[in-house]
Amino acid sequence: MNYSKQVNILDYHSSFDQDTRISYKGPIDEKILQAIGTYIEGVLNKNQKASKKVFKIFIELAQNISYYSAEKNTMKNNKEIGVGMVIISEAEDTYNFMTGNLVKNDDIVSIIEKSEIINSLDREELREYKREQRKLPHSQKGGANIGLIQVALTSSHPLDIEVIPVDDDLSFFSIAVKIDK
Amino acid sequence: MENILIKGDHGTNFIPTVDFNAETGICELGGESYLEDTIEFYTPLFKWLQEYIVNVKKPITFNFKLRYFNTSSSKCIIDILHILRKYQEEGGEIKVNWYYDSEEEDIDDELEEIEDFMVETNLKINLLPN
Repeated sequence: MNYSKQVNILDYHSSFDQDTRISYKGPIDEKILQAIGTYIEGVLNKNQKASKKVFKIFIELAQNISYYSAEKNTMKNNKEIGVGMVIISEAEDTYNFMTGNLVKNDDIVSIIEKSEIINSLDREELREYKREQRKLPHSQKGGANIGLIQVALTSSHPLDIEVIPVDDDLSFFSIAVKIDK
Repeated sequence: MENILIKGDHGTNFIPTVDFNAETGICELGGESYLEDTIEFYTPLFKWLQEYIVNVKKPITFNFKLRYFNTSSSKCIIDILHILRKYQEEGGEIKVNWYYDSEEEDIDDELEEIEDFMVETNLKINLLPN
């Protein structure tokens, strides 16, 4: 059996430009959070301000995948962990952060609606929206339902959202944010 | 009443440092809080405060020295502030201090967050350099 044919690894490699600092696809558990988090704190540390923002955004988006991705891996402790992608790249004036994961079509409308609300608000309105949403009870997974709002506040740029239908049940949801250096 | 002492971990758990002292009434929450299961971690802290308020009934000084926290933890911080505010309304004496890193270049986001905590809970938080 020719294992190498299952994935065209050169295509995969070529799909990232030289500005890509990190690309990861797989389950996002605590160990991955720690590994990529440590990388961000260490390597991007030349720029303390941006590094802190990238780190904050990373944690929110990565934990979203870990909780809400429709694709799950069962870990050793029988815990189900969401699978998704994380890509960090560096341009001249910005760090660019992208995540992608599968989402159930039933959930996609509410995510798009929320993202559109976020992108339509100015900073003060966003803060008010965050306070309102934080008053609601914890989600089933323990989240505060304000991750995306916080990402927009931290980045100070709109969220770049894309949804690509996969089949009757699933769509691929990606979100890109930039952080000024 | 027992004290709570948890050493923070910047490892695989990212739990904050907790130092709740029932004799002095000084409670401290520091370090980093971006654990996954915030409710499981914070529920015993809520219970401790409620027990202190009912049984000890002495003043509480709450010192936040958090360097980083995720949105899920921010909701638990709000829950702590609500417990303290309620105690204050019932006549309890409380003081809430937020220590920020004075060496940090950019604390605008942090100050904004603390302002939001105050607006949301209607509680005065003293900002102090650390």
